[in-house]
Amino acid sequence: MSLSALAQHPAVSIAITLLSYALAVRLHQRWRSIPPIVAACLPIIAMLLLFHEPYARYNLGGNYLTWLLGPATVGLAVPMYRNGKILRRSLPTLALIVLIGSIVGMITAGGTAWLLGAPLPVVMSAVPKSVTTPIAIEVCRELGGIPQITIALVILAGVLGASFGPPLLRLARIHDDRAIGAAIGTASHGVGTASLVHRSEMQATVSSWAMAAAGVFTSLLAALLKLFLH
Amino acid sequence: MRWIEYLSGAAILAAFFLLGAFLHERGVPVPGGVLGLMLFYLALTCGAIKLKWVERTAGLLLRHMVLLFVPLTVGLMEMGPILSHQALAITASLLVSLAAVMLTTGLLGRWLLPALPDAAKEAPEAEAKR
Repeated sequence: MSLSALAQHPAVSIAITLLSYALAVRLHQRWRSIPPIVAACLPIIAMLLLFHEPYARYNLGGNYLTWLLGPATVGLAVPMYRNGKILRRSLPTLALIVLIGSIVGMITAGGTAWLLGAPLPVVMSAVPKSVTTPIAIEVCRELGGIPQITIALVILAGVLGASFGPPLLRLARIHDDRAIGAAIGTASHGVGTASLVHRSEMQATVSSWAMAAAGVFTSLLAALLKLFLH
Repeated sequence: MRWIEYLSGAAILAAFFLLGAFLHERGVPVPGGVLGLMLFYLALTCGAIKLKWVERTAGLLLRHMVLLFVPLTVGLMEMGPILSHQALAITASLLVSLAAVMLTTGLLGRWLLPALPDAAKEAPEAEAKR
């Protein structure tokens, strides 16, 4: 095997991604304000541009990591089940609230993009932007969107919701721990949930459940939307 | 034998995902991962799968989920033109929808949740569980 053929083996891009991610986690531990996803992607993009490697070739290996998002989605059932047991009696009400929140999220995200004249694939990429990345990607693909745009929106929804969500909720005089948890989990998925862990146990528990529930509801609603579009 | 635990957990999660993906291919309109999640949740609820069989693997995958969407995010490097053309629509959609979801869910929560009798009782219980 020649050296250049070796460098194009899928294992190489997996190794590069793992290394870049490991460094990004270290950086994030030292400087909390650097999001790991940004720190992990920039060196890879820089390298691909520098060596004139097309993204498609890098993604031959990258695809293996992307595939693991499927099992990771299944794994979301674990916190959902654990927190669901804690929340027991408020669960039906919470489910209703998260369902309505998810409907509002899909309509406002898609609707705003559509009103501003975005083409259909961009509109569809915006629709699942409130839910956790692996589910958002699958929903985006179902609807014929562009996964990369969805990912960027999902990450921004998480980061912005984590920092501006709590003050916005305070402004609206929402002080109930479970209401705050439901709002952050439905709007800002895992990133928002992680930001609540240091604030309140109850907020984080509700948020973690709401995030998984919002993912499930959004997928079911997207299936309905797809039927309606055809 | 921590490794065995991780591997058997991974096998269970992968099996549920593949089952979901199979059903999706057979025409169920919900994404395979989400179908897998729902089936897996049912399996946990009815006790067919014990939480401790999968806890470690699921924790590992969820903790390092960012790694799994690095390859797709790198693809943004080819999205320059569409992102710059649609920047306004994308940004507006994000901000409007984020605020709308947050306020709808929060206000509904403020209205409906405190009326439930166990509001105060659940918090200490939640702490004890962790």
